[in-house]
Order: sequence, then C-alpha cells, then structure tokens
Amino acid sequence: MTAVIARPRRVPLAQRVPLVLSRIAWYALCGLLAVTMLLPLVWMLSIALKTNGDINQIPPTFFPKEFDWSNFVNGPNQIDFYRLLMNTAIVTVASTIGAVASSMVVGYGISRIEFPGRKLWFALISGSLFVPGIVGLIPLQHLYISTGLIDTWVPLILPAFFGSPIFVFLARQYYQSIPRYLDESALIDGANHWTIFTKIMLPITKPVSITIAIMSFQLAWNDYLNPLVYLQTQTKFTLSLGMASFLGDTAGSQYNYYMATNLLFMLPPLALFFLAQRYFMEGIGSLGTISK
Amino acid sequence: MTRTTIDMPAPSARTLGRARAKPSGMSRRKRRDAIIGYAFISPAIIGLLLFVGYPMVTSLYHSFTQWNGLTPAQWIGFTNYVQMFTHDPTFWPSLGVTLLWVVVSVPVTIAAGLGLAVLVDRAFKGVKLFRTIFYLPVVLPAVAVLTLWKYIYDPTYGLANEILRALHLPTVMWLGDSHTALASILIVGVWGIGGTMIIFLAGLQAVPTELAEAAKVDGAGPIRRFMQVTLPMIGPILLLQLVLQLNGAFQTFTQVAILTKGGPGTSTDLLMYKIYTDGFANFIASPNLGYATAEVWVLFIIVMIVTLGMLRLTRGRFTAGNEA
Repeated sequence: MTAVIARPRRVPLAQRVPLVLSRIAWYALCGLLAVTMLLPLVWMLSIALKTNGDINQIPPTFFPKEFDWSNFVNGPNQIDFYRLLMNTAIVTVASTIGAVASSMVVGYGISRIEFPGRKLWFALISGSLFVPGIVGLIPLQHLYISTGLIDTWVPLILPAFFGSPIFVFLARQYYQSIPRYLDESALIDGANHWTIFTKIMLPITKPVSITIAIMSFQLAWNDYLNPLVYLQTQTKFTLSLGMASFLGDTAGSQYNYYMATNLLFMLPPLALFFLAQRYFMEGIGSLGTISK
Repeated sequence: MTRTTIDMPAPSARTLGRARAKPSGMSRRKRRDAIIGYAFISPAIIGLLLFVGYPMVTSLYHSFTQWNGLTPAQWIGFTNYVQMFTHDPTFWPSLGVTLLWVVVSVPVTIAAGLGLAVLVDRAFKGVKLFRTIFYLPVVLPAVAVLTLWKYIYDPTYGLANEILRALHLPTVMWLGDSHTALASILIVGVWGIGGTMIIFLAGLQAVPTELAEAAKVDGAGPIRRFMQVTLPMIGPILLLQLVLQLNGAFQTFTQVAILTKGGPGTSTDLLMYKIYTDGFANFIASPNLGYATAEVWVLFIIVMIVTLGMLRLTRGRFTAGNEA
C-alpha cells in the first residue's frame, strides 16, 4: 500500500510536477466530496441549535443567531424519548445477543462438522438470503396475532435467535479460514464438538463475533418496517417508529426540537462506530469476500 | 485470490484414508457427527421453516383466496391476479416506477460506490479520514437520515433550495414534484454510498499490486489497467453487489414511506410500498389480505427471475478473468 511513498528512486522533476498536481487534485476532489457529505449533518446541527423564532425565518439563515441548547431537553420530551430509547436498547441488545449466539453455533456446525445434508442446508440457508422479507410479513403478522405476540417485542427479537442467513454466511466464512488440524487433534484427544466450539473456536473467532454484533446492532437499531407492522401501542414504540410519527405529528413548526432529538437518536450508533470503527469497515468489507 | 465458487473444502487425505481403513468405526462416528451436526444447525433449520418456509407456503395459498385475516380464507382461484393485471389502476404504474427505480438506482449506486472506492484506494496521508467521512452516513439510522432529508427538501426552509438560491439558480419542488421526487430519493441513496464503497475497497485492496505494475510495464494506461486487470479481479464482488443491490432496490420501502408516501400521484409508488398500503395501511378500507399476498408473489417472482437471470448471464464471465 505504501509503494508510492516508499519508492526510494528519485523521480525526475519533469515527472514530479504532474505527480504533485495529481495529488493536489486528489485532495481537492476528496475534500469537496467530504464537505458535501458532511453538509447535511452540519445543517442539522445548526437547526437543532436554533431558537423557535429563528427556525421560521424567511429566507432561512444557515447558522443560528444564538444557540438554544434547551432544544435538547424540550425536543425529547415531546415524544417521551427516553422511554423509546430504553425500548430500542432492549430490542437491540436482545436481538444482537441472539444473532451472535445463533450464527456462531450454526456457522460451526455448517463448517466444522461433516454430516450428510450439510451442503443442502447450506444452500437453503444461502438461498433464503434472496427471499424478500416482505414474503413473511403478512403470514407472520397473523401468526403473531393468533399467538398473542403481536404488539410485543417478541416478533422483533425472536428471528435473530434462529441464525439469520447473512450472519451464518459471515461466520462460516471465518470458520473456513481456521486450519482443520486444530479441531482434528482436539477430537483425537477426546474433546467433543461442544468443547471445541466453546474452548477453541469462540476465542479465536472473536473478530467475526464482534462484526456480527455490530451489524446486528445496526440492523435492529435502524429497523423501521418490522416495528411499524408489529407494534401498535405508543409506549412500546422503538425510536425509528417514534421519530417517524414525531415528524408527522408535531414537527411541522418545531424542527429545532425535531433535529435535536434526531441527533440524540443518531448518537448511540455513532458512538459505537467510533469505538469499533475497525470492525465496521472490515466487517462490511468482508461481505465482499462472500463470493470467494 | 482464491477461486470464486462456493465450495466445501475437499476432505483431507488423512480423513479419507482413515475412512477406507476402518469403515465400521467411521460409520459410528459418522452417525454421531450427523446427530451433533444437525443439533448445531438446528436453530437455522427451525428459522428456515418458521420464518421462510411457513410464510412462503401460507402466503402462496392466501394469494388465491379472499381473506380478511379474521374469518377463514375463501378460495377464489386466480381472481386476485386477474384483478391486479386488469382492474387495479395503480398496479401497472407502480410496477413501472419500480422497474425504473431498479434500472436507474442500481447502476448509479454501483458506479458511484466503485468510483469512490477507487478514489480512496490510495496510500495518501489523510485517506483514512476521507474513508471515515464517506462511510459516516451509513452508520446513521435510516429514519433519522430520511427525516433529515425530508426537511432538506422542504421548498421554503430546506437546505437544498437554500443552496440553489445562493447559486442564483431556480428552486425546485423536490419531493413535491412528480418529475423530481424519484430522483430526490435517489440522491439520498447516493449520500449513503459508503457501504458499497467499503465493500469494493476491500475487493480492490485484495488485488495484487504486481498485476497492475506488470500491466504498467507493458504500457497499459490507467483506464486500460482498470478495465483489464482490476475489474476482472473484483468481478465476483461486483456480481454479488449487483445481485444484492437489485434485491434491495426491488424492496425499497422506508425511503418511500418516510419521504413521499408514494406520491405525488404514483410517481414514487414502488411495489413494496403499494403492498404495504394494500396489506396494512388501507386494510380497513378494503380488507383483502389475499390481494396483498398476490402482489407479494408477483414481486417475489420478478426478483427471482432477475436474480437468476443475472447469475446466469454472468456465469463464467467473471471467474474466467480470475483464473487467467
């Protein structure tokens, strides 16, 4: 990767000038794109800090005249934000635990144990990746109605415990890269598969567990369609649902409240991203290697 | 880079040799392994049956029925499908918009994501910062992003028109105009291009630099190097991205639900959103879940045909370059 920088040979001046120019062009282009990407977020922050009088100015001003920090108190109070935050946290944590546990177990079985039908099941699991989620929505809604689980968090959490195909895929991919002699010698020593899984595999597959945890956290935190279909009572809403209805109900004239609350809604995934950035990038990147 | 097919590793010579040497001992171990193997993958099997198999079978059945969800479904044969194709005034427009969306948004997303990946596939100082900034929008919750953009597109107070005014350009109605609504949704999608970028970046970084260097020595320019060395090497990733993005584009829902609710007119009434309105939102007005499930099956079949067609069309084309 550092080939360009580390090249020891001296480049003649005639070549160095275009090289420098192309580098300046590169920084200019990236800088322009970065500013464009960040602009909506900066604008949101500016609105979140504007006073009630300031937001309805025509023509609007880009920066607030004075900072009104009380929006970060008044905004969340409009929708009982902290209760919804708690709801979202519970749903997210529970489904993340389910996703990691189930995909690591299934991934182990599908990649480290040889049994008849393994190929078929793996094909079925990977094939189900291409079944649109909407196919399940109406039948499952009625299943949940008839079992009394509608308007609870169970429909949002339960599926995670049954090995979502994409995570099983990721886990299997990682297991495949671990040399076979590790479990073979353990098997000869008399260890059973559960011991190998918990004692040998879980510690060395930590990177993929973390990746799956982060991805499933994001999926659950961001989900909108499922809560929309399965939840009815306002006090059980997740933040996605609450924020969407906040926009419809009251935000019409109070966009400073809305954007302040929206910022708080973005904060947990943002914090997670900056804490575990490496796993984010590598994890998403490893999706590309699925086809190998 | 390894081969591009999804293959189980061949059993090692050791296990094969043992299998031949001690058939009876192996068969007992085999049987035990089978039980344990199925125990390990049982969550996925239950999940497949419960969350994929069961809904597919029941929804296929319900698509041939008149069903309000409360009383037993009445078998009505192909009536739902006939009504969809001949009587529903919004079905064909919705399908048309869906196809337009897929045909435009998928190439744009792939091209922009790949372009950005090529751009940040450098060792320049600060490249990590740029990667982080480009990826940032992907991390944010969809609803948070979409509600933000809805306000950005506000004709009076929004940032979009504020910029146009600052540049002395005529302002646009964005989501409020049937000519610009779909394009406005696409712009939001392009803002979140970082996810695609990261996947392609991982692919680009796996391309051995010696290959590009060798082509350079042979006198190939940057465009030719990209087309003939890099592109074939990341072919499998490109194909997978294409298939997944097609799938995703056919199932676009949240963007429409938050930004436009299908309007103005039917200009953004994607099939996914129409299914949602027929099956859930308008349920009280016309309670026929059978009709909504029939629409689901039409969407499902289209997605299947496109996915399989895609895989078939490209079979061998990408892997051939890989083996060269």
